[in-house]
This record gives sequence, C-alpha cells and structure tokens, in this order.
Amino acid sequence: MTVTTWTTRRGVLAQSASMAARSLASIRNNPATLIEFFMIPLMILLSITFFMGGQMMGTWQDFLQYAGPTIVVMGLFFAIPATGLALFADLESGMFDRLTAMPVSRFALLSGRVTADMVKHAWALLVVGGVAFAMGYRAEGGVLGVLAAVGVVLLFMFSASWSMVLAGLTAKSEDQVQTWMVALLMPLSYTSTAFIEIETLPGAVQWLAEINPMTALSETIRSLLAGDAPGGYLLALLGWCAGAVAVFVPLSLRAYRRRLTN
Amino acid sequence: MHHSIEVRGLVKAFGDVRALDGVDLTVPAGSVLGVLGPNGAGKTTAVRVLSTLTRPDAGSARVLGLDVVAQAGEVRERIGLTGQYAGLDHDLTGEQNLVLIARLLGASRPRAKARAAELLERFDLVHAAGRAAGEYSGGMRRRLDLAASVVRRPEVLFLDEPTTGLDPKSRNGLWDVVRDLVAEGTTVLLTTQYLEEADQLADAIAVIDTGRVIASGAPSELKQMVGGPVLRLRPVRAEALAPLAELADRVIGAETKLEEGAAAVPVAHAGQAAAIVAQVARTGIDLVSFGVDEPTLDEVFLALTGHRTESTSEAEVAA
Repeated sequence: MTVTTWTTRRGVLAQSASMAARSLASIRNNPATLIEFFMIPLMILLSITFFMGGQMMGTWQDFLQYAGPTIVVMGLFFAIPATGLALFADLESGMFDRLTAMPVSRFALLSGRVTADMVKHAWALLVVGGVAFAMGYRAEGGVLGVLAAVGVVLLFMFSASWSMVLAGLTAKSEDQVQTWMVALLMPLSYTSTAFIEIETLPGAVQWLAEINPMTALSETIRSLLAGDAPGGYLLALLGWCAGAVAVFVPLSLRAYRRRLTN
Repeated sequence: MHHSIEVRGLVKAFGDVRALDGVDLTVPAGSVLGVLGPNGAGKTTAVRVLSTLTRPDAGSARVLGLDVVAQAGEVRERIGLTGQYAGLDHDLTGEQNLVLIARLLGASRPRAKARAAELLERFDLVHAAGRAAGEYSGGMRRRLDLAASVVRRPEVLFLDEPTTGLDPKSRNGLWDVVRDLVAEGTTVLLTTQYLEEADQLADAIAVIDTGRVIASGAPSELKQMVGGPVLRLRPVRAEALAPLAELADRVIGAETKLEEGAAAVPVAHAGQAAAIVAQVARTGIDLVSFGVDEPTLDEVFLALTGHRTESTSEAEVAA
C-alpha cells in the first residue's frame, strides 16, 4: 500500500479555519439548524416591538425606528453564551483530548469555535435585520451606514465572545456557564441605552449607563444607521473591544494550559 | 539507543487520591507493553501523562527520549492517542473526521482526502465514509478512532482500553489492526482490564494496582504465576466428583481440585481438555456441563496481591 504522507505545516489561522469549518460542518449535514440560530433574536424583536413598543413610544412603528437595531443586537447578544457552552462540551469530549495531544495551536482550537459562531451571528443578523426592514424600519444612513453598523456589531460580538471562551474553560459545569452569562448580559443590557433614553434613568445609574459598553455600542450603531458621525462613542467601543480581546485571550490560553495540570 | 518509553517514579495525585504512586515502566522500541489493571488502578492517568494531557507531580516520563513536560510539543509531533472515549466529532462523517485531523496536522486538502481514503479502506470503513460518526456501531467507531490516531503514522501509539465494550468479533478485528501497526514498527502502550487481551497483543505486561506496578514480565511468566486455563467438569451427582478428579489426573497427570459442584482440572491446552472429556463420556459419568475457563484479571490479582480487584473508580473519574 502506498501511504500518502506529507511534511507540510499550516499556520495558526489555517488551523483555526479548519476548526471553524468543523464546527460549521454540522450545518451542512443538518441544514435545519440554520433556523435555530435566528429564532431567539427574532422572537425578542417581534415580542418587544409589538407588545411593549406601543406603550413605550406611542406606536410600535416609532419604537421600532428608535430601538429596532439595538433590540436586534441584544437578541444576538443572547447567543454569545453558546460559544462558552459549545466549548465546554468540546473540552469534556474525547475529541478535544485527541486535539490537545496533537501538535495543534491552542489558540486555533479556541478561535476556531469563536470564528464558527461569528458566522452564525452574521447569519442571524442578516435574517433578523431583514425582518426589521420588512416591518418598516428604515436607516437614513443608507447601505453604507448599515454596513458600517453591521461591522461594528460583529466586532463587538467577536470581542465579547472571548469572555465566554474563558467561562467555558473555567466553568465546572454547564450551569455555571449559564450563570456567568446571565450575570454578565442582563445588567449590561438593561443599564445601557439599548431600549431607553439615558435621561430617564436615576442619577447613579446614569453614570453606569454612560460607561457601559452596550451604551457605546447602541449609540454608535444609532449614529451610523442615521448617517451621523458616531464620534466619542465609537472610540469608547473600540477601546472596549481591544480591552476585551487583550484581557480574555491571554486569560483563556492560560486557563487552557492550567487544565493540563489537573 | 533510547527506549521508546521510559517512566521513572511517576506520581500524580488528585486531591487525596494518588492515581500514580511511583510508577516505573520501560518499553523498548517496536514492542508492545500491556498495562493491565482494574478500574481506578491509574491506567488512564498514566496514558494521559505520557500523551501530554496531564502534568505529573513528580518523577520523569520520556517518550522517544523526550520529556513529556518540558518537550511536550515535540512529543505531540510523534505520538498517537486513542483515548478511552472516542476522540471523534460525532456530527462529522467518518471521512470528515479523518480529513480534519490530516488538515490540522498540515496536509493540503488533496493529501488530506487521499490519506482519509487510504485509512477508510484499510480500517474497513469505506461503506460508512459518508455517515456521521455518531451513527457508527461500537466496533466501527473504535476503528475510526484508531484510524484518526495514525493519520500521520505515529512512532508511539497509546491505546487506552481499546476494546472495552466491544463484542468478540469487533474485538478480534481491532486486535488484527493493532498487530498490523506493530508489524510496521509502531511502538504501542495499551491499557486493558483483560488478561487475554494483554496476552494476545503484548510482548510484556505490567500489572498496575492503586497507582503502583505490582508485577511485570512476559505474558508467559505472568500466566505461570496464576496458572493456565482450567477445565471445569460439573457432574449431575455430587458423588461423581471424586471419580472425575481421579480420571482427569490419570489422563493428563494433573492435580485436580474439587470445588463446589465442580472438578477443576488445570490444563495446558485445549487438547488435554478434549481428551479428558472424551474419557469421561466413555466411562458414562453424566455431566451437567463442562467448560474451559481462562484465568481472569481477578485471578491474577488474587495470585499477586492476595486480594480481589477493588474498583476504586475515583482516580479514573478525576482523570
């Protein structure tokens, strides 16, 4: 028998792409899962807009125009823990034992998962954003404004996902990953200007809302979609994203190494 | 010339449980070591340390002359691991699993596909190449798992209980595959709970209990310590036991022991058992049943330690 061998190597990004493709292969084998990725953000958009929108701003149409984009983003945000949960399951599996005992970059094993989930988030954003448009939402910033806002949202999702990578690596159980998520996402969402105007908040919470990364995100995409320059909020957002990556990526790699000593 | 695996005084504790408590092992290049022991003996922990998945607390472990802690990266380049739980993505097809491993190990897409095709052929999985690994039978999954461990032809292969839970036919098939790999020069360390498996595959056996090697040697030496197979004759009437024992001793010159309802005759091979049974038939003693029992791990332990195997599974769980 002739044996096909090789001496080539592939870089970290190529390995990461292979891992991302692996996580997405289940979609090819079972396309129905495509629906799962947008159900939660879609339901959040529909229920908040139709049931609460009228009471908050007179008509649901006005509410959609003000809060539609941020509600879409918040819905997406609730999919971030999936990264931690999937990674937790991966790490418990024999599959990751095999991969860890192979000469494969640790970063690639983690970033492959993040990359795959970013593809899912982009898909959900496309679908739910399309529904918002169909419901009557219009961006004055036009196509360019929409594209810029989408880019900012995905960058934010990418950075925030690394906190869930750390959660997946350090949690002792799936429940712990879930708890982390609620503890992080709920206050972030509700003390921001995602749904409400900052002037309506009590004094102390106003300060919290002002520095909240979700506020930076909400205000940035509102400006971009309206065709305005986002200014300081965009800078704050970029700072948050860079900070999250700079903190959570090294901590995640350290947590991965630590698993080996146990 | 290095030994392929050299382990000295290896210690690993999980809390109060010393999963490894000073283990020494030596595996010459190209040979097969069977690590035999009950659940919780430390077998899995030993494999995890040697395959760089767990760091030891003390002692040294070298694979191909490389330290598994300080030179873990180089060790990973040259080993293969088939863990106790299938190292496969159950959502991927058999072929996708093998292509992924080859791609991660640096193969171009065409080479990865070619290698996957070779392995599917060799491990008799061509018919299932396009099915999700999660739908495979136990035996097929183990073969795919083993194929994934040899994608880049490792010099040292670790197999952690490769046939636990398999039916006899699948087990024999897997043994053949392992023998082929050994014939090509792969050094193998395998753990098992079955004396027969170690006997079939290994050049040397290390018996491990509560984190220590309590005996080691060639399979034949070990079997001598516990005795060989035993023919058990169960007569219809208890009074026939003594005549049966006499008869057996006369036929093969053995020393038959009387057990509850059975005469236990130590035999060297199946031929002796057949000769005895034929003689029994001629004398007209009625038997309820008869059978040849191979010595079990439990009997090895009884012979070596004076106690039966105790399944202390905490260490394996913690590992």
